[in-house]
Amino acid sequence: MKIEVRNITKRFGTFTALDNVSMEVPSGTLVALLGPSGSGKTTLLRIIAGLEQADAGNVLLDEVDCTQRALRERGVGFVFQHYALFRHMNVFNNVAFGLKARPRGTRPEKVEIHERVFRLLRLVQLDQFHDRYPSQLSGGQRQRVALARALAIEPRVLLLDEPFGSLDAQVRKELRRWLRRLHDELHITSVFVTHDQEEAMEVADNVAVMDAGHIEQTGTPEAVYHHPSNAFVHKFIGDVNLFRGRMVNGSLRLDQKEAESGRPNEVFVRPHSFRLTQAPDGPDCFQATVEHINPARPLVKVELLSEWGGAVQVDIPHQTYQELQLERGMTIYVTPTQFKVF
Amino acid sequence: MPPNSYISNAGRRAVQDPKAARWLLTGVAVIFLLLFLVLPVLLVFVGALAEGVGAYLRALRQPDALSAIWLTLAVAAVAVPLNTIFGVAAAWAIAKFQFRGKGFVVTLIDLPLSVSPVISGLVYVLLFGARGYFGPWLAEHNVQIIFALPGIILVTLFVTVPYVARELIPLMQEQGADEEEAAVMLGASGWRTFWTITLPNIKWGLIYGVIQCNARAMGEFGAVSVVSGHIRGKTNTLPLQVEILYNEYSFTAAFAIASLLALLALLTLVIKHAVEWQARRAYSRPQEENVA
Repeated sequence: MKIEVRNITKRFGTFTALDNVSMEVPSGTLVALLGPSGSGKTTLLRIIAGLEQADAGNVLLDEVDCTQRALRERGVGFVFQHYALFRHMNVFNNVAFGLKARPRGTRPEKVEIHERVFRLLRLVQLDQFHDRYPSQLSGGQRQRVALARALAIEPRVLLLDEPFGSLDAQVRKELRRWLRRLHDELHITSVFVTHDQEEAMEVADNVAVMDAGHIEQTGTPEAVYHHPSNAFVHKFIGDVNLFRGRMVNGSLRLDQKEAESGRPNEVFVRPHSFRLTQAPDGPDCFQATVEHINPARPLVKVELLSEWGGAVQVDIPHQTYQELQLERGMTIYVTPTQFKVF
Repeated sequence: MPPNSYISNAGRRAVQDPKAARWLLTGVAVIFLLLFLVLPVLLVFVGALAEGVGAYLRALRQPDALSAIWLTLAVAAVAVPLNTIFGVAAAWAIAKFQFRGKGFVVTLIDLPLSVSPVISGLVYVLLFGARGYFGPWLAEHNVQIIFALPGIILVTLFVTVPYVARELIPLMQEQGADEEEAAVMLGASGWRTFWTITLPNIKWGLIYGVIQCNARAMGEFGAVSVVSGHIRGKTNTLPLQVEILYNEYSFTAAFAIASLLALLALLTLVIKHAVEWQARRAYSRPQEENVA
């Protein structure tokens, strides 16, 4: 099922949560809406679900306009941020709710409901917890019940609002991989909201980066990371050093004088896109002193203070670190090898 | 100081009053409660049974007394369900939706609690009494509200408006609308969502509110006194009947009727306590099981 969002605008009082947003989610893909809080990503998800009415624009599911359709008829599975499990029902009844709520004609037999619920509970590895109440489950287990409950109605589209937001780091990583596997198995068109770029990168086929009610860029995690279309995306995705400088005759000038003269550009350099040398190396390089070194990582993290007094974060391989014999207080020459100017 | 004294001190809380002060404070509180709460209630029963059980039962079997009992039950039977429906609807609207003037509505619901019941009664006399705004029209159409059952029901409705709504609003606000949204997303109709999700979640709060509403509906004196007209065997509720009998020096009969109201109060307390206990249990049960 393809999801298409066309020119959606949504205001809350004077605040514009979404400003003429358009987006397409190809059938069978898993898309992340990524952005800082207040960027409108949850609002967009709730509008796709039908939980919120847009002031303008349309939501199309497989080319059919759903804007005026009743919530119940959309066939959308929704996983809430805080799970919203029915607290007075056990796990089985939570998952069975959607099937039991069907009108008499389409409601499955009791035996079939039982069978389908247990099939889902096995899928989320919770079959032995079927008679527990939500308050007796851990956060990760609740999340999986919420997912099983949403899948029970055989939705054409699955929407997840900060699915891992309130879990601790370890469980988060585990559930993340698990969601990806589940999606590869079921191939339901899915959209999930997150403010965690690592999460979006790891799980999603496509990422839509949002800021202040706009979608800034849509693309594969690779494209968004390596070819950010604007300064916001570059700043938001991955670690990055921000310089003020400009290109002069094909070479990059980052020093203070360039930053002050005229209108400097914003120059973005990832921590691993530097070359460190003991002697000056070409016109792009600048001088810096080593402030701090953290070698207890896959890449050695070096914090530098540039000649104009700005902090620079550099990641270098252990081999380079040893060859350079880096020490605190040492003076070093830094050359950006890859950068982006906006 | 030997090290042992640290250990013995460790068991004591840092801030604790001396024993004598604790006993004194507790004693004062208990004596006060006995004197001003328990004793009067006991005296009601003592007064009621002063001339023996036979006289007590005879007093309750008087036609006027029976009529007062029926009237009180009838008023509560109308007012409590109506205010329950209103309370749930109001709490639902206030807790789950955003609309303009919400604060005003909340204040309005509290109004009966801040207005003297006598004033509430007078307002209805002003509206529906013989010289009230609608009086002539009502007289023309032969409808009697003041000094009749409709008037008593109306003022009782007025004074008992807040009880259910006030109990439910904070509860429903705390629970939010997430579960309802989830139910609707799973295909449940609004009606089904209410019965299978909302109602079970507010069950104990609702029962608590209904009990309080009922106690007030049956015990209301001031407002009912203004609109009832004190017609014996017709428009006297239990509290009014007590007053009349007392003014006529029929103490045994007055206390007999009063004992019914006292029993109602005690029953209300017991149910309230049981409901609170249930609600606590329903809330904490899962954690206990989790430990086990």
